[in-house]
Amino acid sequence: MIAFLAKRLGITIVLLFTLSAIIFFLESIAPGDPVKAYLGANASRVDVLAERHRLGLDEPTIVQFGRFLAGLAHGDLGVSFRTHRAVTADFAVYLPATIELVVFAFVFAILLAGGFAFSAALRLPGSSVYRGILLVGSTAPPFLLAIFGIVLFYQQLDWLPASGRGPDDAGPTGFLVIDTLAHADLPGLASTFQHLLLPGLVLAIAPAIGIGRILRSSLESTLSADYVRTARSKGLSGGRVLVSHVLRNSIGPAISMSGLQLGFMFAGVVVVEQVFSWPGIGNYLANSIPVSDFPAIAAVTLVLGAIYIATNAVVDLLQAAADPRLVT
Amino acid sequence: MHHMTAPHRRRATIVAAALVPLLALTACTTGTSAKTTNSAPTDGVLTVGLLGDIGQPPDPDIYYANNGTAIIINTYEGLVQYKNDVSDVQIAPRLATSWTVSADKTVYTFTLRKGVTFHDGTPFTSAAVKVAFDRRIAVKGGAAYMVQGVKSVGTPDDLTAVVTLDAPNSAFLDELASPFGPKMESPTGLAKNAGSDNAQTYLMTQDLGTGPYELTTAQTGTRYELTRYDKYWGTISPFTTIKLPVYSDPSVLELAFDKGDVSMIAAALPSSALKKYSKTSYSTSYFLPTLQSALITVNPSKSFFSSVDARMAFMSAIDKKTLVKQVLGERSEVATTMYAKGMIGGGADKQTIAYDPSRMKSFAKTASDKKLVIGYATGNTNAQQIANILAAQLIADGLNATAETYTTSTVFGWANDPTTGPDAFIDGNNGPDGGSPYLWGHVFWDKTGGIDYFLCDNPKTDELLNQALATGDESTYVRAAAEYESTGCYLQLSYNKDWVVAQNWLTNVAKAQNLGANELDFSLLGIKK
Repeated sequence: MIAFLAKRLGITIVLLFTLSAIIFFLESIAPGDPVKAYLGANASRVDVLAERHRLGLDEPTIVQFGRFLAGLAHGDLGVSFRTHRAVTADFAVYLPATIELVVFAFVFAILLAGGFAFSAALRLPGSSVYRGILLVGSTAPPFLLAIFGIVLFYQQLDWLPASGRGPDDAGPTGFLVIDTLAHADLPGLASTFQHLLLPGLVLAIAPAIGIGRILRSSLESTLSADYVRTARSKGLSGGRVLVSHVLRNSIGPAISMSGLQLGFMFAGVVVVEQVFSWPGIGNYLANSIPVSDFPAIAAVTLVLGAIYIATNAVVDLLQAAADPRLVT
Repeated sequence: MHHMTAPHRRRATIVAAALVPLLALTACTTGTSAKTTNSAPTDGVLTVGLLGDIGQPPDPDIYYANNGTAIIINTYEGLVQYKNDVSDVQIAPRLATSWTVSADKTVYTFTLRKGVTFHDGTPFTSAAVKVAFDRRIAVKGGAAYMVQGVKSVGTPDDLTAVVTLDAPNSAFLDELASPFGPKMESPTGLAKNAGSDNAQTYLMTQDLGTGPYELTTAQTGTRYELTRYDKYWGTISPFTTIKLPVYSDPSVLELAFDKGDVSMIAAALPSSALKKYSKTSYSTSYFLPTLQSALITVNPSKSFFSSVDARMAFMSAIDKKTLVKQVLGERSEVATTMYAKGMIGGGADKQTIAYDPSRMKSFAKTASDKKLVIGYATGNTNAQQIANILAAQLIADGLNATAETYTTSTVFGWANDPTTGPDAFIDGNNGPDGGSPYLWGHVFWDKTGGIDYFLCDNPKTDELLNQALATGDESTYVRAAAEYESTGCYLQLSYNKDWVVAQNWLTNVAKAQNLGANELDFSLLGIKK
């Protein structure tokens, strides 16, 4: 197992290094001038050239890359051209917002997927409407689904807010669910969940279908297995058969799919954060790209890449733990 | 023939059954809302929606961008400003009540306002002028050039500041009146919070100004909040708090406004929303004068436009009247001058390129390279429409024209190598730092200025602009403009107005705006009785 872990860690480091090299290469060939984002649109050419020199942007790409890697080794991701703050300081603000949203959406996705799979496998009456709505939602582009949700739940029904995170003060951790709980701020907690619901739902629907379909197939296959029939014939209750025999033997593939979907959710959060003005790293990235705010773009890309790789590594580890034959 | 199986039919029925109510609901929401009014706030809170983040820290010596000007001009004040609620360029008092200018335009003497205090409680005196100018130089922001020519600041008494310049500068008052011009900051506060960066970190989230509001919250990308400064020397606003939430999507911002959650939107919505807001009963649209324009520039470094003839033929093919009416609508009027509207008395800086599509048709027939790219900035829907219309027109002339989008950063990168840019660029909305013709000509026509995208330069124009700067002579500015027009690189398409949509209960919107700021002085806004 230790060798397996070391191998995964090594692969992770190589992948992140490759990713950062690719980002630098793309940045070096991309047209654009980030210094205008730093100084302002009307800044004179003389000022732009002087600032470019001061920021080291006129140095060869390899030198800039070396400096970036050296900074990265010390936890220094540079200074954003747009916000004029250390990227790590920006991350302290934006990353918790994204993690909170994605975790909430992931839990949401698991619940929706469970409902999808069980209702289909057990052929619950009337559940086809629920599955139909989920299927329709999953086929719509996220931005369209988001706008539709805002029109319905914000404009028409006035049930949910359309933008932002809710309570004003982020508190010590930046995770509003934790912060409001820590301060026993129940209205704040309620507001936090209200703000999470709509973007969380939009982010959750497509992964829910992905996970739900896998789980449904597994459930249907397991439900027809001999040992399940035997369990029923022994007089075990339907619930006990479902949980102890069917679910336990069906959940493996769904866990693998959940891990993959969690990674995809972090990558796909950009659009959802844009529409809902969610102050996370997706929005931060979307604002940084048009002005070529390279330190911010590179940092977000690396972090999203690291999260994706880490998620897959965890899935691999879980699978390895479940099936030692994979550790070779 | 393919027949659906029973399970497929059932699935299709379920999906259709789920789709019908969704589509029906969407259809219901596309109509105009039936409501007639949104009520005025009773808690003293004015909510002004921002479309996109302000882009830079709200530090007056750094900020040199767009919608964050609303924060700067409400928390800080300069010595002078542009006069509110007029459509021409007039310098008005702010922290200086009067001023004199020496005949050679090198010495500016200001009499300062009594009884002004900074938000940290310290009094405003002439000593603050030099401190503010020095800090601007020290932090090296994009607008630092405005005080680079200051030789000395004399302070014969607390209420007199004598600014001496290195060289004659007739545009100095305009630079001081600019929303990006030097603002007065508490010397005590700057010293106390200097840190290692001239208080730049401190001023990211707080302010040290004298304006009607204090910056009390600055969450980049999320929201900003201003709180009324009750010791303000001027009009005390009925609004105790100004909330500035950041919206990333214009349609969501519109929905928030329609619901009454947002009180006002300034210069943020695309022209495509004009029709909707001309019909709503709960809001009022204001079209307020600015120095902003829509511009068309061509790239002389590209083979298609390497000759003046080609550039002039292209400019002649642009039907300004139709384009402005078709795309920009009520928020713009056709430009007839080289500089912004009203910069030169009587419009003597007239644009002489007349609409004559036959020139381009003839040129297109003989052109060896028929490929032409018209660029526009990503997200600028007005510019995109104009680019598409022009491309279609050029295709009809026999050219292989396309409209292409470019990010802001890419647009500003063209100056490093103009051959990497498109053949022409539609700038949907841009403007100078201030109302002096020099600030227009230098920025747009001089390759050392900030927005001469393709470095199309005419040394004679630069020389005349520099002469005019020293004297302020309008006829020299007119000659500089005529020289630049002869390059065929530039056409001013329209004078753009500041389109403000406000709830009906909001009053004094026009009185709170001046043509230099593009944003409103929130302290002057009121509530309808």
